[in-house]
Amino acid sequence: MRAAPGGQVAAVRDRLSTALKQTRADYAEVRMERSRSSRVVFRGRRLELAEESVDAGGCVRVLSRGCGWGVASFTTLDDLPKMLDAAGEMSRAIVLAEPIRLAETAPREDEVVPELDGDPLGVPLAEKRRLLEHLNGLMLAASDKIADTAATYSDERTEWYYANSEGTWLYELRPEIGLAAQATARDGGCIERSLESVGLRRGWRSVQDRDEMFRAAARRALELLDAPAVVGGTYPVVLDPRLAGVFVHEAFGHLSEADFVYENPQAREMMTLGRRFGSDIVTIGDDGSAPGLRGTLPYDDEGTPTQRTVLVREGMLVGRLHSRETAAAMGEHPTGNARAISFRHPPIVRMTNTYLEAGSGGLDDLIADIRLGVYAVDAVGGQTFLENFSFSAARGYMIRNGRLAELVKDVVLAGNLFQSLQSIDGVAGDFRWNQTGGGCGKGGQVPLPVTEGAPHVRFRELLVGGEVGG
Amino acid sequence: MLGRSPVRGREVLDTVLARAKRRVDHADALLRDETQLSLRFESGRLKESALRQEAGLNLRVFAGGRLGVAGTTDLADHDDVVARAMASAGQGERLTFDLPCSSPLPSLATFDDPAAGMDVASLAALGRRVVEQLTRPGWQVSASVERSVERVEFASTAGQRFAYRATAVRVGAEVMRVAGDDVLMAFEDAARSGVPADEELDALAGAIIRKIRRAERVVEAPEGKLPVLFTPSGSAAVLLPLRQALSGKTVLQGISPLSGKLGEALFDPALTFADDPLVPGRLGSRPADDEGVPSRRLCLIEGGTLRAFVYDLETAARAATASTGHGRRSTFGKPGIGFSNTLLSPGAMDEAALLAEVGHGLIVDELIGVGQGNVVAGAFSHPVALAYRVDGGEIAGRVKDAAVAGNSYELLRRVRAVGRDAKWIAGTRSVPPLVLDAVNVARG
Repeated sequence: MRAAPGGQVAAVRDRLSTALKQTRADYAEVRMERSRSSRVVFRGRRLELAEESVDAGGCVRVLSRGCGWGVASFTTLDDLPKMLDAAGEMSRAIVLAEPIRLAETAPREDEVVPELDGDPLGVPLAEKRRLLEHLNGLMLAASDKIADTAATYSDERTEWYYANSEGTWLYELRPEIGLAAQATARDGGCIERSLESVGLRRGWRSVQDRDEMFRAAARRALELLDAPAVVGGTYPVVLDPRLAGVFVHEAFGHLSEADFVYENPQAREMMTLGRRFGSDIVTIGDDGSAPGLRGTLPYDDEGTPTQRTVLVREGMLVGRLHSRETAAAMGEHPTGNARAISFRHPPIVRMTNTYLEAGSGGLDDLIADIRLGVYAVDAVGGQTFLENFSFSAARGYMIRNGRLAELVKDVVLAGNLFQSLQSIDGVAGDFRWNQTGGGCGKGGQVPLPVTEGAPHVRFRELLVGGEVGG
Repeated sequence: MLGRSPVRGREVLDTVLARAKRRVDHADALLRDETQLSLRFESGRLKESALRQEAGLNLRVFAGGRLGVAGTTDLADHDDVVARAMASAGQGERLTFDLPCSSPLPSLATFDDPAAGMDVASLAALGRRVVEQLTRPGWQVSASVERSVERVEFASTAGQRFAYRATAVRVGAEVMRVAGDDVLMAFEDAARSGVPADEELDALAGAIIRKIRRAERVVEAPEGKLPVLFTPSGSAAVLLPLRQALSGKTVLQGISPLSGKLGEALFDPALTFADDPLVPGRLGSRPADDEGVPSRRLCLIEGGTLRAFVYDLETAARAATASTGHGRRSTFGKPGIGFSNTLLSPGAMDEAALLAEVGHGLIVDELIGVGQGNVVAGAFSHPVALAYRVDGGEIAGRVKDAAVAGNSYELLRRVRAVGRDAKWIAGTRSVPPLVLDAVNVARG
């Protein structure tokens, strides 16, 4: 969808190109952003906050031949020429024996304005408040054991401008909208929480009719009050699509980000293309161009078009995620994965929409021959230290003799890069993208909007933390 | 020449408050103007230098008995931020409380001239000192060095007005060692308001080297309910529930396991925990909080007995108590509760004595996924990122593929031992090593 450049867009374009023409650097780029957002929060029975915010600023990045990166970010937009000079000076102050090179990308001009199903900017704050008050009320009404709630509505509309000294000019309107429901149930000393969220790059109508999400948050917090904690140990484990998505993100997504390996000979060897990481039922990829997802954008923050990149095909490592710098260093192609959370930061290599491809069959097939195991459901989060990582379920069910049995809480799984993928012995056909809120964190940049997608997945064996005997 | 146009903070605040004043009962505003210069070393070499300049204004108004807020980084648009604060109040809750009036603030040095004057070359020298000590075959060294200078300006219609400048220098280093399919990551950081001395940088590099040396042998994890020595960085999962439960907000919402227990002996007598915004040279230090309440030290847990919760103005008003000076605000959103510097009191034991207390068990230096889970309830369960097996009071080697779990409130009722060597984490939290009993250790 293209929109004719408005007067304001043309004015910014002039300003950026004039500033870029005056730099002496071999490579320079400017990103400018202006976002208007609104947020409403209820805590318990009270309105915590209803606000509209304006955030505006820019980031310049300069590279002089044989030198390091000079970066400057700022909120005083009139300072753009001065900031380009400062970044140039900082670049020249770093002399490198091995120069930084950028992989070629064709210069392009584009302006992208997505059509929204109802522009949230046109909806009065009072109406957003009414919507959320209703949804929050559903959690409070569930039981008098619901001690606390946090209900959040948020929308953001970012005008994103990008220009570089190679002739690329891009303008995008980047919309975001989301709802989050957190219910806390309390029974004496026992306190349990449940969180549900949705995050979309869509409009006002996409967050209507979400009653069930808020009811579910309350119901699940209440259910956990009576659930025992899972007993620690190794089990056959089945993940639901949401947690399987987090698994893929933590287990393999981060290690596929080329900035972890491109300058490290040992890591490059460990991650040699063609190496087997899982059985042939495991295919993993990242797709920043998949339509309609939260991690989707036409261009990354270096102006490279996004694309689908297969990382693991039938168990073999076949690709990785790149910026222009890491692609040049490894003799590979940029993949459109250089992303920044805002004008406050330079872009680094990040995921977009990461997925584990569907196999066949369903949950019943995966649990049928498990005598004692854990079915781990919904994601609280995950974190990786590359070889070892965690992924936390919101709740779990014991699997006993091929059937789902009692609910258990505090289900946190420990993963190992080399063992966990090898341990996958079942991939169901029920693939689903998980459009939750929140986001990914790396290098101090959090939360970055990403999506994960997966079907149900079974592991022969995984370590589950928790109470042990002895 | 890393200059830019200075933001006229006082002028902006005065203009915004003057425009708001005509339409509101009270208002207060905080403007934070920060300049940060940071250097990034990748694979042992300096690769990037970045300047970040950000100025943001947060305005709170009470109009028609209702509370509203608005924030902006566009300081030229005074009318817009006032209009948005009024619109926010239009939806806001019926609530009034008094803003602090003009009062003297404790004198406190938060600004360090040599730190403020650091440029790319002097920052690079700090980084190189650390990087050079860590450079060896197979070690991938990353480091970052950062100095920031901020000016905080506060004014309210109640007459409180102050401004202060603060500096911070942060140094962080990480070694990633890949050997075959074995990946080890070890990191350390140091942060203070002044320029770190060479000894501090050498200690930082030395700590990373020690972590890696101790990890050279990988051994099988122990299993069972075991004594665990949590290093200052390793204890985050155990102390996080306490921090959340001590927030007046958590108490007000009815979900703090500590609510209603002031004066009760809930923890081991060895446990003393305080918040202190007046520690010289630390990054949480400030003469007043972000709502204009003068800073003072506050003891939260004294010898195991619960003494206080932390409050900002709004939660204090709702709880019919006084603010403890823990109002924290950023450019966007409503002021909320935040600690300044927190200090857990150290004990007397050195590392050898602590290891002897452990006997057979584990040292936990870093856990994975801290903060994800049912934190306020005290339950934690995390795989280890960096942990060592202890046998006969000696370190046997690194442990991988293990997970620890427990409940903070139960574990802290009996603390086996507290170490003497407290360490500042992120420049704001002073934490000694702790030995806790009967921690669940599961192995893969």
